[in-house]
Amino acid sequence: MRYWLQRLGVAVALLLAVSALTFGAMNLLGDPLFNILGPTSASTLPEDLKIIEAAKAEYNLDDPLPVRYVKWGSAFITGDFGVQFSSDGQPPVSDLIKERLPRTVMLLIIAQTMAVLIAIPWALFAASRANKAVDKVSTFTSFLFIAIPNFGLAVILKYLFSLKFSIFPLIFNAADPFWSRVWQLFLPAMALALPVSAIYQRLLRTDLITTLQEDYILTARSKGVSKRNVLFKHALRPSLFSFVTIFGINTGALLGGSLIVEQIFIIPGLGSAIVEAILREDFPVVLAIVMIVTAAFVVINILVDLLYSLIDPRVRSA
Amino acid sequence: MSSLDINGAETTPVVSATGGADTSAMSFNDATNQANADGAAFKRRLGFGFWVAATWLGIVFAAAVLAPWLPFKDPNVNNIVSGQRPPYAPSGTHLFGTDQDARDMLSRTVFGARVSLTVGLVAIGMGMLFGGFMGIVAGYFRGWWDRVISFIFIIFLSFPALVLAILITALLERSLRTISITLGILAIAPVGRVARATTISFADREFVLAARTLGAKNGRIIVKELLPNVLIPMSALALLGMAVAIVAEGGLAFLGLSVEKGPTWGKVILTGAGSRDLQKAPWIAIIPIIVLFLTVLALNYAGDRIRTYFDARETGL
Repeated sequence: MRYWLQRLGVAVALLLAVSALTFGAMNLLGDPLFNILGPTSASTLPEDLKIIEAAKAEYNLDDPLPVRYVKWGSAFITGDFGVQFSSDGQPPVSDLIKERLPRTVMLLIIAQTMAVLIAIPWALFAASRANKAVDKVSTFTSFLFIAIPNFGLAVILKYLFSLKFSIFPLIFNAADPFWSRVWQLFLPAMALALPVSAIYQRLLRTDLITTLQEDYILTARSKGVSKRNVLFKHALRPSLFSFVTIFGINTGALLGGSLIVEQIFIIPGLGSAIVEAILREDFPVVLAIVMIVTAAFVVINILVDLLYSLIDPRVRSA
Repeated sequence: MSSLDINGAETTPVVSATGGADTSAMSFNDATNQANADGAAFKRRLGFGFWVAATWLGIVFAAAVLAPWLPFKDPNVNNIVSGQRPPYAPSGTHLFGTDQDARDMLSRTVFGARVSLTVGLVAIGMGMLFGGFMGIVAGYFRGWWDRVISFIFIIFLSFPALVLAILITALLERSLRTISITLGILAIAPVGRVARATTISFADREFVLAARTLGAKNGRIIVKELLPNVLIPMSALALLGMAVAIVAEGGLAFLGLSVEKGPTWGKVILTGAGSRDLQKAPWIAIIPIIVLFLTVLALNYAGDRIRTYFDARETGL
C-alpha cells in the first residue's frame, strides 16, 4: 500500500514539475502577446494600446507568472485548457484536443492489437521449434524488424501499398464512417506495429521456451496431451507475465511514434496538432498536448505495475 | 549461416532467472540468458556477422568524417541540367539520384551522416559520462546517494522522451548542439541504471574487498577496480544507445524539429516522404532509409554480439 502511495506521489509530482517547467519556459522564452496580435503587439499608437490592453486582460497576461500558472492549472484540471493564441482564439484548446485525441488513440489501439496478433502466433511458432533452422530465421527476422525506424517503415509502406499498388487509401478522411476510417489507419498502424511485434515476439519466445521446460509440461505431454494443446492451453498463459510489462512500456513509446507516423500519413491527430502549434508558437495547445501525453505515460506505467501485481502474486508480496 | 547465429552456439534453452527485471534491455536479453546457460560450451567468438556490421559502420563513419576531403559533390548545390526538370533518377553522375532541387543525394546522405552520427555520439557520450558516473556512485556508496540518484532516474524514465525532446527543441534554437545535448540528457537515466546495476553486482566481489584490504581509497577502487568491469556492458549499451539517438533525430525531423542547417538523415528522408515525391521519385526517401536502417541494424547487432561475447566470459568464472 505504501508503495502505491509513493508511486502516486511521484506521478503527481512529475505532472506538476512538467507543467510548471513547460508553462514557465513557454512564457519566458516566447512572446505570447506577439503570437496573439502579431506586429500590433509592439505598437505605441493609442488605438493599438487599447487593443493590447484588451488582449492582455482577455488572456490574463498582466498577472505575474506564478498567478497565471495557478489560474491555468486549476482551469486545466476541470477540463478547460484555455484559448488558443490566435487572433480570435477559436476553437478553444479543449475542443481541438477533443477532435484530435480520439484519432491518435484509435491509431494506438489498432497498432497494439496488430502487434499482439502478430507476436503471439509468431512466438508460439518459434518456441515450438526452438533453435531449429526455422526459429533461427525467425529470430533474425525479428532483429531486422526491430532495427527499422517507424518513420522509415511508414514511408516504405506508404510507397508500396498506397502508391505503387493502390491497396490502401492514401488519405485519412475524418468524415468517413467508422470502418473505413479503421481501414485508412491500417498502414500507419502497421508501421507502428511491426517493430513492436518483433520486440514482443523475442520476449514471449524466450519465456515460452522457459515454460516449456517445466515439469508440468512434461507431465501433460506424458499424459498424452497433444503438442498443440500443451502449447496453447498449458504454456501460453504462464508465459504472458513479462509480456504485460513490456506491452505497457511500449504503449508509452508508441504514443511518441504515433505523433511521427501521423505526420507521414497526414492524419489530423495530436501529432499534427503539436507540430502546427509549435510552428505558430501556440503555447496553450503545446502545453495541453504535452500534459496529455505525459499523463497518459504516467498512468500507463502505474497501470502496468498494478496489473503485474494482480497477475503474479509473488510481486504483490514483495 | 553464422550471420543468422544471433543466439550463439547453444543448443539448450534456459530458465531466465531475472523474469522481467530489466525491461529496457528486454528485447535483446534472450541471447544473454541462453548464453549464460552453458557458458562452458559457448564458443568465444564475435562471428562473421559482427565483422560485416563493423565494416559497414567503418565505411559510414569514414565517409562521414572524411566527407569534405572526398570527391563528393557539394550537398547544397543545385546541379540543374538545362531542359530537364529535377528530381533526376540515380545514374552515373548521381549514384543516389538527386532531390527536387537537383541536389546530389549521395553527398546529402553522406553529409547527413555527419550530423546524425554526431548527434548519436554526443548523446551517448553524455549518457555514458553523466549516467555512468551517477550509476557507479549510486551503486558503490548505496544509502542516500543511491536513493537520490535512483529517484532522479525514475523521474527521467517516467517522462515520455519524445515530449522532452519536442519541448527543448521547440523552445531553443534548433542547432546541432541543442539537439545533441537534448538526446544526451535523455540517455543519462537508461545508461545510469545499467551502470548502477552492474556496479552493485561487482561491489561486493572479492577483488574489491582485496583492494580495500590493501588500503585503496574509494576513488581508486572505483576507477581501477569497478570502472573497467562496468565499462564492458556499457560499451555494448553505447552502441544500442547510439542507434536509438540516430533514430530519434529522424523522428524529430519529421516533426520539423531537427537541426536547422544542412542535411541530416531525418531531413533527407523527409524531403522525399511526401506522397507526390514518393510516387515520382521514390529514391529520394528510400535510399537514405536503407542507409539509416543498415546503420541501426549494424549498431544493434554489434552491440548485441559484444554483450553476448563478454557475458560468456563472465559465466566462465
